[in-house]
Amino acid sequence: MSSPSSFFSPRRVLIIAQSTVTQLVRMKIFYFLAPVALLFLGLQFFDAIWFEGPEALMPEQELRMHKNICLGTMMLFTSLFAIVSTALLIPGDIEDRTLYTILCKPVPRLDYLAGKLLGVIVVLFIAMLVMDVLLVTTLHFRTEEKLLQTTEYMVKIGYPEREIAAGRAEIAAHGPTILLQFGVLSHFLKACVIAAVALLISTFSTSTLFTIATSVMIWIIGSFQSIARDGLFNDASFGEAPSWADKIVGTLISLVFPDFQLFEAISDAAARAEDVLYSDVGQLLGLSVVYVGIYVVLSWFVFSDKEF
Amino acid sequence: MSEVAAVRVKNLVKDFRGPFRGKKVHAVRDVSLKIAPGEVYGLIGPNGSGKSTTMKAVLGLVAPTSGSCAIFGKNSTKVDSRGEVGFLPENPYFYKHLTAAETVRFYGRLCGMRGRVLRDRIEEMLELVGLQEARDRRLKGFSKGMLQRIGLAQALVQDPRLVVLDEPTAGVDPKGSREIRDLILTLKERGITVFLCSHLLEQVQEICDRVGIIHGGVLVNEGRLDDLISLEDKTELILENASSVLMEQIRELVEVTHGVNLVSEGQARTTLESLFLRETQGASSQEGRRQRSGKSRKRIIR
Ligand SMILES: Nc1ncnc2c1ncn2[C@@H]1O[C@H](COP(=O)(O)OP(=O)(O)OP(=O)(O)O)[C@@H](O)[C@H]1O
Ligand SMILES: [Mg+2]
Repeated sequence: MSSPSSFFSPRRVLIIAQSTVTQLVRMKIFYFLAPVALLFLGLQFFDAIWFEGPEALMPEQELRMHKNICLGTMMLFTSLFAIVSTALLIPGDIEDRTLYTILCKPVPRLDYLAGKLLGVIVVLFIAMLVMDVLLVTTLHFRTEEKLLQTTEYMVKIGYPEREIAAGRAEIAAHGPTILLQFGVLSHFLKACVIAAVALLISTFSTSTLFTIATSVMIWIIGSFQSIARDGLFNDASFGEAPSWADKIVGTLISLVFPDFQLFEAISDAAARAEDVLYSDVGQLLGLSVVYVGIYVVLSWFVFSDKEF
Repeated sequence: MSEVAAVRVKNLVKDFRGPFRGKKVHAVRDVSLKIAPGEVYGLIGPNGSGKSTTMKAVLGLVAPTSGSCAIFGKNSTKVDSRGEVGFLPENPYFYKHLTAAETVRFYGRLCGMRGRVLRDRIEEMLELVGLQEARDRRLKGFSKGMLQRIGLAQALVQDPRLVVLDEPTAGVDPKGSREIRDLILTLKERGITVFLCSHLLEQVQEICDRVGIIHGGVLVNEGRLDDLISLEDKTELILENASSVLMEQIRELVEVTHGVNLVSEGQARTTLESLFLRETQGASSQEGRRQRSGKSRKRIIR
């Protein structure tokens, strides 16, 4: 037998992650994808009534609405799923005393935590992938439909060739582009960060309910943090530079609550088909890794002193 | 002792603090014990006396308030001390969504086993604990005794040098409990150290080399089992088919001998455990026959 290493081992993390994925799959969590799929497909047929008449939406607007609803659903489902599954896993292991038998094998506690989180992230990724494929497929057909309708209409009215091409390009920009994928990526990364937050809370909380409630709260505060901070400090110090006290409090808040501002900015841009800087996407990735890393290390500190 | 002890507990104290700085619970107060390699050590004591807590401290699941524990010389608070130990917790519980075979596989992999070795080991373990039939059933439907068995399989999967068993026979039927006893004896033959605690004193008596009695977190007595339970000034005599005339003669003989007292006399009894076994196992086994032929046994303790 190979002697098990007593510090962090990627292989062991993978074993625990794999078992977590199996657990979540056998808990039939992927069933929640069914209503999402129904919603995405249903949206397909939603426009028929709207298109005719004076109230008709512009084709880009309609595509944007489709994207907004889908991306919003994806964000809501992955984040909630990240919180609930993480909150169920570790307290569940403690209550079941499954943890005794795992931790008395040569398994460092960091490996256990990292494995659990990785398992949740893998499942999140699969769910996101499925929803992304659905989004891209439905949006593709929708865009094709709009392109066809608009071209027909423009040709009938007698628009010049160049303007028709420009109109088509504008509609196509609202279709399934790489930009849209950045939006999906930002929601996925946000869900990963919120899973790490839930992991940290579940290491010291004594109940699943507390973990879920607190994580949801942090998720909401994180999402509106920039707004909240602006409201809190900029209003008070109208026109002046924020005082050092405000700065400190602001920094503290952004340490305790992850700042999802960049995540929101990128997904908004993706939905509006505005350009996103690659450097911003890189920054988003970096920020997510840093957040997840910090929360895992904090969890490890709390968890390593925990007794069962 | 030149050899390094399999388990060494040194002045272990463990206090649990109640919630919100409530009253402290002194679970273990200054327990020291040493288990030599190859020994079977039994810890007995009433409920809440600190047996499980001592075992958890040995496995590093709780941190000692003071004192220390070590397994084969490695401090229990370190992960590497757990390489050569298998633990069966009390009322074990595993992932409900896994099958018996998957459960053993999971724990085997956590111990760094893989490939052919692991596959063979899984079958070996399932056979050892008598769960081959249930190998592909999910643990969700397992009975308490079956969970206990899978717990044993899991504890033994990496062939550890030390096995810590917290009430290994709790919830197991008498036949299974005898099988577990035999299993422990097999482990002992193979030189594996066993540290167990149990409320079944007959079993502890049958299998343990040394016993520690813990009460209120204090180790009140400890020693070799033979030394602890032999009553040096008493002798037991069991007779088969003794006539009443012979019995009378013996009684008279005892009476005239100076300094000897007849303490008790009566029909020899089988234990409840073996009675149950006889009734539930059918008459085929040797054990059963032996027991039934002993109907007219008489027992005298002088
Ligand atoms: N996690 C804990 N928090 C608080 N008190 C605890 C904890 N674990 C054990 N105790 C207390 O420590 C004492 C010893 O408990 P322990 O489980 O070691 O007893 P035991 O000898 O194993 O009993 P049993 O025979 O019932 O299994 C008990 O008073 C118990 O209430
Ligand atoms: Mg106990």
